[in-house]
Amino acid sequence: MKLRFALAFLASTASAAQACEPPPDLAGAARIESRDTILFFRTSPPKIAIGQHFSVDAVVCAKAQGAPPAGVRVDAQMPAHRHGMNYRARVTAKGAGRYVADGLLFHMPGRWQLVFDVERPGRTERLTRDLEVE
Amino acid sequence: MAADERVELDPVEIRLILRHGPWPQPVLRDPSNRVSGNAAAGALGARLFFDPRLSSDGAIACASCHVPARAWTDGRPRAVGRAPLERNTPTVLDAGLGRWFGRDGAADSLWSFALKPITDPREMGAGPRQVAGAVRADRTNACLYESAFGEPPAAADERALVNVAKALAAYVETLRSARTPFDDFRDALARGDREAMARYPAAARRGLKTFVGKGRCSVCHFGPAFTNGEFHDVGIPFALGPGRVDAGRHEGIKRLHASPFNLLGQYSDDPTGAAATKTKHVEPQHANFGQFKTPSLRNVALTAPYMHDGRIATLRDVVRHYSELDLDRAHADGEALLRPLGLSDGESDDLVAFLETLTAPRATAVPPRAAQIAGCGP
Repeated sequence: MKLRFALAFLASTASAAQACEPPPDLAGAARIESRDTILFFRTSPPKIAIGQHFSVDAVVCAKAQGAPPAGVRVDAQMPAHRHGMNYRARVTAKGAGRYVADGLLFHMPGRWQLVFDVERPGRTERLTRDLEVE
Repeated sequence: MAADERVELDPVEIRLILRHGPWPQPVLRDPSNRVSGNAAAGALGARLFFDPRLSSDGAIACASCHVPARAWTDGRPRAVGRAPLERNTPTVLDAGLGRWFGRDGAADSLWSFALKPITDPREMGAGPRQVAGAVRADRTNACLYESAFGEPPAAADERALVNVAKALAAYVETLRSARTPFDDFRDALARGDREAMARYPAAARRGLKTFVGKGRCSVCHFGPAFTNGEFHDVGIPFALGPGRVDAGRHEGIKRLHASPFNLLGQYSDDPTGAAATKTKHVEPQHANFGQFKTPSLRNVALTAPYMHDGRIATLRDVVRHYSELDLDRAHADGEALLRPLGLSDGESDDLVAFLETLTAPRATAVPPRAAQIAGCGP
């Protein structure tokens, strides 16, 4: 009985995590994972050009039995230079954990860090991904 | 020119150098200006650029400060219109390639930027009626206006003023600098032509290595135009006097958003609104205080003095500024982009030698007569 319960629990958690898959139009998207969250994202255009605005299309979901995200903020910074972008991204929730952030622009070459602040009631979790931009 | 002394470049340096081309860049029409690229508008703009009737006292034209023989600047530390101003006159060569216009980026289009000097009481001090009158009352101007815009000069003075600014922009877009000795070297490097590369002076090549390497100049002076088109605090004081400061980009963003002539307004001709993306997403941040636009370095040897207020007289002094940078002044809002370069005299001389190779032939030439438009007289 205990074994059957344990197997059922593992299946439910595995299936909850496996349920967070990118939709077909984000197949092959970059994946970031934290303790509570899985996030897939793709930039548009796919190759970021210095001095050109771009968007980020993301899917965010909770792992296991965590609370689903209430929202996402998107920003970027250059950690080595200690500065961010000169532009404020605007995030639009598309439903079902899908978000689109517009208006990003990287104004110099080097290592940028995309920052996703995933909001839940009472707390915010930060996920990041470094990008080398030429 | 000195023969090549085998100043070798490593693969990283080569990659960074190649990013500074090709040149010239393709001319892109401004979607917010329906007469961008229009020959009649360019011809009208060419006439008006040199016409002092656009000023309230009939004494100042755009060309009074943007003097062709001075690479389209005025050679002064700070501009002087009808009154002294706080900032150095930037060149308008290659201005059409910019994203933001003005030292503080208060304008998001070349045509809206043209409105500021025309209407500022300290510069040309003209109002919409006067500017519109300068077009309506001149037969050739009126003819060119109608040819460009498809209608006589607008009855509404403000609309006519904006269209004049669009014609000026259509002219200024054509002021493009030619290829330079650096461009010849860059392209030779791209195709591996060592014989052509050898014609580039060794001192300039050493300076170029510093530019893309130790100096990290190419981080902000990026790409074919040698500017990232954005704003930085480079340790130049911005106090104007007791209790007065030049807030630079911070104030520029506020003025941009308050302007009825920005790309979110009724005068933009862009049907998609895409041109206004930058305007929608820029917001003043604390770090913007005291930041000024990174200028292009093309023809920099011709546009002394330097910095937003013209306080630095020579290129050698500019290099000294960065070599001996005051970190206490330059660390705006904790940004850690700049550091004193600690260049030797030789390195500094070489860096200046490189910058001098960004000078295009005929950058100070008076432009050829604008295209004749049939039926519109001389």
